[in-house]
Amino acid sequence: MTTGPQATPVGAASAATVAMVPPARRSPGLWALAWARLRRDRVAMLSLAIAALFIAVMLASRLGLVAANWDEEIAVSYASPAFLPDAENLEAARSAGIPRPDAGPPVDISDIDPLAPHYGEWAERSAALEQVEGSRRTTLPFGADKWGHDVLLKTIKGSEVSITVGLVAALLATLFGTLLGALAGYWGGRVDDVLEWFYNVFTSIPYILLILSFAAVLSQGLVTIILILGLTGWTGIYRLVRAEYVKHSAREYVRAAQAIGVTDLSRMFAHILPNASHVVLVQFSQHFVQFIKAEVILSFLGLGVPVTMVSWGTMLAEAQEELIIGKWWQLTAAGVSMAVLVTAISLLADAMRDALDPKIR
Amino acid sequence: MRPSSAGAPTRALLIVLCLLAAALRPAAAAAPEKVLRMAFRSVETGFDPQRVDDLYSTAINDQLFEALLEFDYLARPARLVPLAAREVPQPELGGLVYTFRIRPGIYFQDDPAFKGQRRELVARDAEYALKRLVDPQLRSPYAWLVQGKIAGLDAAREHAAKAGRFDYDAPVEGLTLVDRYTLRVRLNSPDYNFIYVFAMSQTAPVAREVIQAYAADTMAHPVGTGPFRLAEWVRRSKIVLVRNPNHRGLALNTTWADPKDETDQRVIAALRGKRLPQLDRVEIYPIEEEQPRFLAFMGGDHDVLQETPAAFIHQVVPNGQLAPNLAAAGVTAHRELAPSITFEIFNMENPLIGGYTPEKVALRRAMVLGHDLPTEIAVLRKGQDMAAQSPIPPGTVGYDPTFTAHESYNPARAKALLDLYGYVDRNGDGWRELPDGSPLLIDYLHTTGGQSARQLAALWVKSMSRIGIRLEPRAVQFSDQLRDRHNGKFMLAAGAWVADYPDGQNFLQLLYGPNAGQSADARFRLPAFDSLYEQALRMPDNEGRNRLYGEMNRLVLAYAPWRLGVIRSYVHLTRPWVLGYKKHPMNHLNVKYLDVDVNMQAKAAR
Amino acid sequence: MSAYILRRLWQILPTLAGVILLVFILFNWVGGDPALVLAGKVTDPAQIENIRRQLGVDQPWWVQLWIFVQQVFTFDFGRSWSTNEEVSRILLTRIGPTLTIMVPVLVLETTLAVLLAVLVAYVRGTVTDRAIMIITTAAMSISFLVYIIVAQWLFGFQLGWFPVQGWTNSFLTNLTVYAPLPILLAVLVGLAPQLRLYRSFLLDEINQDYVRTARAKGLPERRVMLKHVLRNAMIPILTNIAIYLPGLFVGSFLLEVFFAIPGLGREIVGAVNRSDFPVIKAVTVYLAMLTMLVNLLVDVLYRFVDPRVSFK
Repeated sequence: MTTGPQATPVGAASAATVAMVPPARRSPGLWALAWARLRRDRVAMLSLAIAALFIAVMLASRLGLVAANWDEEIAVSYASPAFLPDAENLEAARSAGIPRPDAGPPVDISDIDPLAPHYGEWAERSAALEQVEGSRRTTLPFGADKWGHDVLLKTIKGSEVSITVGLVAALLATLFGTLLGALAGYWGGRVDDVLEWFYNVFTSIPYILLILSFAAVLSQGLVTIILILGLTGWTGIYRLVRAEYVKHSAREYVRAAQAIGVTDLSRMFAHILPNASHVVLVQFSQHFVQFIKAEVILSFLGLGVPVTMVSWGTMLAEAQEELIIGKWWQLTAAGVSMAVLVTAISLLADAMRDALDPKIR
Repeated sequence: MRPSSAGAPTRALLIVLCLLAAALRPAAAAAPEKVLRMAFRSVETGFDPQRVDDLYSTAINDQLFEALLEFDYLARPARLVPLAAREVPQPELGGLVYTFRIRPGIYFQDDPAFKGQRRELVARDAEYALKRLVDPQLRSPYAWLVQGKIAGLDAAREHAAKAGRFDYDAPVEGLTLVDRYTLRVRLNSPDYNFIYVFAMSQTAPVAREVIQAYAADTMAHPVGTGPFRLAEWVRRSKIVLVRNPNHRGLALNTTWADPKDETDQRVIAALRGKRLPQLDRVEIYPIEEEQPRFLAFMGGDHDVLQETPAAFIHQVVPNGQLAPNLAAAGVTAHRELAPSITFEIFNMENPLIGGYTPEKVALRRAMVLGHDLPTEIAVLRKGQDMAAQSPIPPGTVGYDPTFTAHESYNPARAKALLDLYGYVDRNGDGWRELPDGSPLLIDYLHTTGGQSARQLAALWVKSMSRIGIRLEPRAVQFSDQLRDRHNGKFMLAAGAWVADYPDGQNFLQLLYGPNAGQSADARFRLPAFDSLYEQALRMPDNEGRNRLYGEMNRLVLAYAPWRLGVIRSYVHLTRPWVLGYKKHPMNHLNVKYLDVDVNMQAKAAR
Repeated sequence: MSAYILRRLWQILPTLAGVILLVFILFNWVGGDPALVLAGKVTDPAQIENIRRQLGVDQPWWVQLWIFVQQVFTFDFGRSWSTNEEVSRILLTRIGPTLTIMVPVLVLETTLAVLLAVLVAYVRGTVTDRAIMIITTAAMSISFLVYIIVAQWLFGFQLGWFPVQGWTNSFLTNLTVYAPLPILLAVLVGLAPQLRLYRSFLLDEINQDYVRTARAKGLPERRVMLKHVLRNAMIPILTNIAIYLPGLFVGSFLLEVFFAIPGLGREIVGAVNRSDFPVIKAVTVYLAMLTMLVNLLVDVLYRFVDPRVSFK
């Protein structure tokens, strides 16, 4: 790649010449056209609105505007939803456990206790700190989980982690896949051989095994999940982007750019990438959806998000056994929220593909 | 290597199956087979008694093999009675020597390895089993039971490690074959609890020729003297036991039954005059997920549900009473307080949280006080468990039902204690710092996988944040948790212990200083505790020893090397046609004492 | 042609080397220490050392790598660390149940997906097309975990139509009694993505010139669809199925875990939890080999079927 001082005049010249080069097949006008097509698609617009709503709620939660207090235990265990106020709740009674009928008085340890010299002061200070616990609610708008958390708030808070994981992991996978795909497709030869080898290694290991293996050896945490999903999920994008680059590298507009001395880097990213971007965009949205679903499975296996966070995956894992005891609300809240968002984005991705690639229809 | 070894076991198995089928056919024609179906909540490993330590493999081995001793079916607390031995030996020389006389006329189940001969159980088989436990090749997980205990066994083991193979023919100082049926065991030092080891299937006699014949996979070829034999095994999926036709037959021992206990009387009525075992076939399915395991019983596929998942407990015993639909179906609920305990271990060698100075003791004690145990019991354990008061759980010798811990959950007292010793928020970030101003951040180690570990961790975070202590959970794979605990790379870690034998010492040893780095992960080294422990070890079960146990309990409460958790309690369910059921705290499975009312079972199936 | 196959076979070697290296790095280097899991409740240092020596994990890494390579080529991964069962036996016995579920899933899924795809392509652009696509999208948006939990509760518990667990030695009983619910669930979840994919294959063909020619000749649309479009679209469809084949052997571990099916998927999850590396390594490497061979086969067949692609 030319990065020397003489690159600057050539680059400047190229900027002028690009306009004269036959325009890229998909001119910016095509994006506008696609948008126009998309706007006519009512399902797509509804999907877009739903996705935007979810993102807005998630951002509000991120900024602490809503659901900031989701982890307050405001209700009894499995408090019923407000629309089912009379549902029997056997779980609400806080049992002190198996009784000890023969229990004697608390044992005296003052003779061996290293803390014994301060017993008096300790008792005085603690008397000043005594608190009474407030009463807990027996119903909530959409019920409570076993701790007494508001399921509605929990679902909102859960969207934050789920969407973040899906979004960041999809970005990572797309970035990785696009970059490697561009390198392989554009350069061919040795670079392509090495990357193809890399690709073959990754794809010949079954996906679930790859995920489990990575999860088994990395420590738990949000970053880990994102890394696992991102690092194992790039192959599909790589394949498609590479194909686009192979196709476009031979096209005359790229050849022309080369003839007038446009740098490789700018040909790869300023010329070809816009033409491959529809593939990237659709792939990105599909991976987004796929990773939101993958987070659930990782959480079910206990390899998901850390204890202090909540996601739709951890909610579903927690709610596994709740259906049988008649507490369907947490499963429903997390399951439906996820399904709605995923459906909306999938439909949007379909519509985008159709809009950007009109020959399909 | 043995090139033909792959085919031989398969052929042997086929022969066994054919014989079995032939043996069972006339019986099946005469009377309907008595079949019992149930689940295990975890998977088994295999059925070589000396090579396994998991509860579920051990439970099966208990049916296939006969140890020298066993626990009486009805006696509570647990009581040793003879099984393959003629009597429970009296400790000789103050607990230094035990002489076992094996009952003549006990035969192994038929097996091709015996070449058509009936094979009688002799003392040499019991000696062989004890030697196998320390054979380095077997890497037995229960080697520690006898290691350092039986005279001369450690030397034999070291010799084997050097030579590359264990010489089973070389005599071991502490194991003497007095005659064909008598084995004398001599220990390095007196130990009154050692006798319990002989009630574990890990020491059950095995035939050397069988082990040699199936050397390639002894896990899959159990040949014992027990009332059942392994008929079919699909690993981690299905275990089928059928009655061992060679078994001499047993009768229920009612000597130790409680005449006022309803269950005991029901068991006696059901099994009176019957030759045990009564069951022809037992099918066991390991199911790890709780929902299908529960549904398998509720849907009528299984006859017994051991350890009802706590999540569904209110479907089974709402408000402590058996649910009406189950009661109508004749289901019986059996509650058991298991001789096991959960706890959290403080690493006593950790510079931040360990130590014996008042200020370090205060930190740990405050964390214990601030941990919301009532919520753990009420919400996470659905009120099914009991708050542990000492490291010794009920069902073990040395448990004192009156012993109550000096204090319980009290966040106000926890905060006061922290304030008192200078653990206050010095930089205004809302979290307390150490008295010298450096950060106070607790690292809590737990395992990935499973919802319960996760929720317990969440409760720790909540409880500690309520008293101003910052705690960060660290979830790792099971093997990594073991490693970090073993190497002392943790501050606070979750733990649990299930009794190997029903004596409090089995639990107190987890806090004995010299055991640090083996089982004592807290690395608690308090001279007062250690000397009490050593004193108790040399005493038989009596009031004096119980007093020492009480003293040790008090030291544990005062220095808090552990946060005591709960005593697990389980509800077991049986269908009305299952007769003779009584869960023994030390035996997960005891199918030789069960019977099935085939007519009632068949009627329900229709 | 044979030169091409030979060359492709030769190309498998570096990929295999990569897989071996990746698996080795993941498990022998970063993975947990199995000795502590196997040592039992009381971990005596001498015992730990003994176990590590027996498993060979105390060897330098290059020795371990060499042993691993030998294992791959002799097809002998020794025994499972936790159960002492031969790894080859584990693979052979667990494959059956997995395939009992997955083969019917593949057959049903493909048949239904192709049929529906033809139907949808036939009515492309109509409300029916749109509705079916939206419904299938929604169906595949629900988490598999939710499907399993709800189905076990509804069909197994409330309605009692299917058993929720169990497995026998009889293939027929398994297929008719224990497999239907898992199969149904897998098809329900897997159908939508396949249908979408096949629809796009069919639409690709519909836009080809020869279809227009056929229509211009006045052939009825139904005939065009079945005779020309479907026949040509079968190539990408079959390719897709072939690519899907190796995944069949892993099965769905979620189904196997929830329905207690003794298949390979459940075995893998268990092996990961127990740090039973010989099992995981064997499964990974062999499935990778299988995948490579299937890919090769697909390429060869593809070139065979489609004369436009040359063997260069």
